[in-house]
Amino acid sequence: MKQDTWQRLKSDRYGMSGLLVVAVFALVALCVWSGLLGQGWSEVSGDRFESASTQHWFGTNLLGQDILQRTLFGTATAFEVGLMVTLCSSLLGSILGGLAGWYSNSWLDEIILWLKGVLDSIPLYLFAAAVAFALQGSPWAMHIAMIVTFWTTTARIIRGEVIRIKQSEFIEAARAIGLPGLTIVFRHVLPNTFHILLVQATIVFVAAINTEVILSFLGLGIQDGVSWGLMLAESSQEVLAGHFGNFVAAGSSLFLLLMGFNLLADALQDALDTRGEFI
Amino acid sequence: MSTPALKVNELSVWFETGSGKVTVVDQISFSINAGDATGLVGESGCGKTMTAMAILGLLPSSGINVRANGIEVNGRDIHKLTGKQRRAILGRDIAMIFQQPATALDPVFTMGQQISAVYRRHAGGSKQHIRQTMLDALESVGFSEPEDIAATYPHQLSGGMRQLAMIAMATVCKPALIIADEPTTALDNSSRALIIRQLERLQTLHNAAILFISHDLTVVRQLCRNVMVMYCGRLMETSDCQSLFDHARHPYSAGLLSCIPQISRKRPDPVSSIPGQIPAAADLPQGCHFAPRCTRAEAQCRLTVPELDDINGRGAACFRPL
Repeated sequence: MKQDTWQRLKSDRYGMSGLLVVAVFALVALCVWSGLLGQGWSEVSGDRFESASTQHWFGTNLLGQDILQRTLFGTATAFEVGLMVTLCSSLLGSILGGLAGWYSNSWLDEIILWLKGVLDSIPLYLFAAAVAFALQGSPWAMHIAMIVTFWTTTARIIRGEVIRIKQSEFIEAARAIGLPGLTIVFRHVLPNTFHILLVQATIVFVAAINTEVILSFLGLGIQDGVSWGLMLAESSQEVLAGHFGNFVAAGSSLFLLLMGFNLLADALQDALDTRGEFI
Repeated sequence: MSTPALKVNELSVWFETGSGKVTVVDQISFSINAGDATGLVGESGCGKTMTAMAILGLLPSSGINVRANGIEVNGRDIHKLTGKQRRAILGRDIAMIFQQPATALDPVFTMGQQISAVYRRHAGGSKQHIRQTMLDALESVGFSEPEDIAATYPHQLSGGMRQLAMIAMATVCKPALIIADEPTTALDNSSRALIIRQLERLQTLHNAAILFISHDLTVVRQLCRNVMVMYCGRLMETSDCQSLFDHARHPYSAGLLSCIPQISRKRPDPVSSIPGQIPAAADLPQGCHFAPRCTRAEAQCRLTVPELDDINGRGAACFRPL
């Protein structure tokens, strides 16, 4: 099954180009984390608003910091936020969604659905501002706000899938070999939702990076370091004055990475879609 | 006489609906000795699968009522067990083989992983021991390359091979009782013969009792010593296989036998069928449930329920047996 999926993905040209773009950005992020790239993001290395040159590829900003260095560092920020939010919200979403689906129409299901309904009814940016305020400028405020709001979609999808899977015969068979309910959920039901979870995770990843930019732009995001959102926030003043460095660098990076991820998510969905294969 | 491997006493299954009680299994009693195979035959919807699920205790607790005056496996009453006690014996003492191996196996694990998981849960042991047992189980159902089969996913196997792998999974703990719910119905003829042969072999090998549920009398004849004919939740006739084929006592059994197409004759008679339809479980006729479709029925049949008699070990629930 895994080999088939890879074969199908490989023959999808858009999917492969998406994967390539994501891989390049991921490599940049890895290099930043290991200290090979983007270390001079806060260093003042030139005059203010220098235009593009061989020394400063995207020019410098208001303070004379190199915009290329800041863009590279911003890549790592984007991946850090994306990975953390995706991992935590997928984990939370699949556990809560799995329990709600397995015990559907019970009090546990009711509580989880109620919680989901409440969280879904609060606008994300308002919620992020509230969390940021409650945590008094903690660097994790944004992450927590996103995890708490993003798990609900994952949980809803997983719950529906679990309700479908729990009627399958192999779940009946798992009961017939004497497995208790919770073991069946985690060993036989949730692994069968993995293909959906993977696609959903790429979508959450995109949403997290996107939201990080917007929240940082609003001043609710990254506190320490630099992100594409902060750069875009700076550029909102600069573009009117004719300085496009921040805008072009952060905007095009964001566009490229999100585009790559979306293409990859689409291709993954097609490649993992094995409906009809087991029947 | 030794204790039978399975002894079911007055098992009933019914639903409570808005319009009253709907009985799907009505007070059936039977027993199977170790090393014996007993067939449970009947048309679709007559309560065969319900009987199997009730024995395993796998019917959902809400809405379905099960009552029995004892369901004993090797002399131990399993009817009143708690969930935990029941889970300890399911898969170890009683194993189930399903009709659709394609859907009864988890698509995301290899056959080896799934078979090992059963053994690890009920017997345990070192990694090598579990793996060896798993490979032995695969080999015992006739796979000559158990390593290869262990590494495949269910969808990579053909229907017959999947069912063999499923039988390996069911027998890895050497259960005393195997319940096979139409294990050959979804298979072609040659796979069917293979499955029957393997079940037969395992039965002698492990001295297991088999409850073989089927609507196909010819398959039952190949495997089973005894046969029970079920209709609308009641046992109509119990007999040893050979006698039933030679001379069915109950008109319903005779009807079922006449439905089997004969291909050996030069000019075959048109295949007959039993006139009428199975009544709905919610609206069963009074008296003998088969009376409305029976050519021999008379007034008494429509009023009182006939009991299973016992003539030389054979039983028929009929006032006017053949």
